[in-house]
Amino acid sequence: MSKPRIIVIGAGFTGVATAHDLALRGCEVTVVERGPIANGTSGRTHGLLHSGGRYAVKDQESAIECIDENMILRKIVPTVIEPNGGLFVALNEQDVAYGEDFIAGCEACHIPIEELTPKQVLAMEPNLNPGVLAAFTIPDGTFDPLRLALSFAATAKKHGAKFLLYHEVKGLLMDGQGNVTGVKVLDLPANKELELHADMVVNATGAWVGEITVMAGAQVPIQPTPGIMVAFDQRIAQRVINRLCPPADGDIVLPQRRMMVIGTTSFTAENLDYIPIIDEQIDLMLERAYELAPALKSAKLRGIYNATRPLIGSGAPGRSVARTFKCFDHKETDNVDGFVTITGGKATTLRAMAEKTTDIVLGKLGLNIPCQTMDYPLISYREFYALNN
Amino acid sequence: MAEQWNITLVIRRQKQGQQPYDQEFKMEANPDENVIDLVERVWAFHDKTLNYAHACHHSTCGACGMRVNNVEKLTCITPVRSVVSNGGTLRVDPMRNFPVISDLAVDMGELYRRMELVGHHPVNSDRQEAIQKEFRPAGPADPGEDFIRLSDCIECGLCMSACPIVGSTPDYLGPAPLAGAHQAGLASNPKLLDIVGGTDGVWRCHSAYECTAVCPSNVDPGWRIMELRRMLIGEKLKSWFSPRKSVEVSK
Amino acid sequence: MNTNPNIFTRILSWFDPRGKTLGTYGFMLNRITALGLTLYLFLHLIVLGTLAQGPDAYDNFLKLIENPILKFGELLVVAAVFLHGLNGIRIGLNSFGIAVPRQREFFIGVVVLSLIAIAFFGWRMYFA
Repeated sequence: MSKPRIIVIGAGFTGVATAHDLALRGCEVTVVERGPIANGTSGRTHGLLHSGGRYAVKDQESAIECIDENMILRKIVPTVIEPNGGLFVALNEQDVAYGEDFIAGCEACHIPIEELTPKQVLAMEPNLNPGVLAAFTIPDGTFDPLRLALSFAATAKKHGAKFLLYHEVKGLLMDGQGNVTGVKVLDLPANKELELHADMVVNATGAWVGEITVMAGAQVPIQPTPGIMVAFDQRIAQRVINRLCPPADGDIVLPQRRMMVIGTTSFTAENLDYIPIIDEQIDLMLERAYELAPALKSAKLRGIYNATRPLIGSGAPGRSVARTFKCFDHKETDNVDGFVTITGGKATTLRAMAEKTTDIVLGKLGLNIPCQTMDYPLISYREFYALNN
Repeated sequence: MAEQWNITLVIRRQKQGQQPYDQEFKMEANPDENVIDLVERVWAFHDKTLNYAHACHHSTCGACGMRVNNVEKLTCITPVRSVVSNGGTLRVDPMRNFPVISDLAVDMGELYRRMELVGHHPVNSDRQEAIQKEFRPAGPADPGEDFIRLSDCIECGLCMSACPIVGSTPDYLGPAPLAGAHQAGLASNPKLLDIVGGTDGVWRCHSAYECTAVCPSNVDPGWRIMELRRMLIGEKLKSWFSPRKSVEVSK
Repeated sequence: MNTNPNIFTRILSWFDPRGKTLGTYGFMLNRITALGLTLYLFLHLIVLGTLAQGPDAYDNFLKLIENPILKFGELLVVAAVFLHGLNGIRIGLNSFGIAVPRQREFFIGVVVLSLIAIAFFGWRMYFA
């Protein structure tokens, strides 16, 4: 059988990682993306290489995914990662009490932590709130969002994947039985419409998956949930600083180059393409940031932006929804063959999402090719722009 | 309620095989929001055929470099009030010296090729990265500990757009790659000495210092190019006075 | 890199100060003064050639340069020498790693010193 032709819609983390896995397993992949690489949610992540600590108590499935993928990414793409570790810090008695659940949760999820005294943690990070009552180290890290995506995309390109950036999907090509056979795209730079045929179309548009599934008369329970991020112009800590508490607004501040980024909130938005900044949320983020690290009071604001998480709904909106990912085979869910949707997840789990999706895609095509991406070192992210299509 | 200004936004449009033209929008803008937000609103609400590069929206990816009123800026950290006043006109053009893919999006291939050529390190030890004293991060500076840090240079290309020599001499390596060579260190690659000291290297710089002026990320390419000159002169003198060619260069 | 195929457009782009900072003015001035001084050098050699034609030819030439326009030209040469020379020292020092973070202030100093020199020699040429 000739190489399976797969079209991946979306060049965010999910799209590029899936293209990489598909290409590595011998498929002919074309990625279509209406903008540049990682211009949606993926580019705007604050860059936390998640250790799973935040989910160790209430969402252990996500936590285990995170810690496992954290270790894999450190191995396969070290050139975009700052592996400086992280801290969970308790600022009041409630936080300290949560520490008990936190320890048990991390143990259950094999997340290695170490308790520190206030004196120890302030020696490590002098700009922390001096009233810190307890702290734990955790194997967090930070990464460059765009360059993580580019690393996967470059490696996919090296193995033959084609990237059509600035190509917007206008519709899906269907056969007479309501199955998907390809995509109709508008080449925006050339202002030309193209039809691309494929054996399978993978919808990897993250928060926007609903806009694509509707083109096939299908649907997925996506609940796009934006949140604000605020970047300060001073790097006053070398490690990720997490608040020792259940997931809450502004529970993390982390270094990104010479900045600190605080996030985030949770709300709903009408138009995914433009989400206005809400001033009250900026104030809330500043308040939380100053609590964790008072030194930030002398820093200036550098960037303020929203990013939309692709949460998979099941009823309750907002934070209680699981942060894990799901791959929907539309033959099963909507009787539309040739079409799968992958969404949800966190940045750190991009490779795992791609593995699951590629397993499903190849399974549907009757192929059984083992995944190698957990061990395959990614090539230099620069090759994405340097290699020609 | 946030302040609202009335401004005119002029965007340079250019599609393949077509003549470039200007597109004008009268819009309301919060003076504290960033220029990228204006471009994004135009795309989301007025014209989805507008192409522009962006990713992180907080100056770590380097994707959103453009010319704003003819000055190179990273638009995600450029507040509206810093480039226009209430009632004024704001012009946005793509960066110079890169081929335009579409509208404000340019092909960064040549810059990335050159950064790879000189071996700039995307992650570096903190001590190696921040050589200029003025640019040490404000924070814990434990002499015993060194951290791994993402490099200052975000490969945004603003310096390449602003440099007059890059504008006239296509083979000149340019500020970012030369700064990248300095960061990697001449000792990192024996070929680097010839690359930065050769015809398209540091001696083509003629001290306009626009690169340092527009860099949004503390790289200071002008200073690094002059440092490379100092190192090259040192190497030359050493090679005259010692029989064996020395490749070890001390910082 | 993507440069304009027309060499004149490329050269002219050096002299467009719109959106540029002080460093570019130093860059432009160095080029203009260099061209001016090169032109002056040729003229100077031609003038010296008149010496070979005997004392009368040279004396005639000296009367010619009493012309106020040519006198102003000589003042421009003085300006070019100071600007180019002092800026050259600035750039030379920079190339040894000296004073780079203060290059802007250094350039302002170069211009101020040059203006003083131009004023001094101008006074001497026209009024002394």
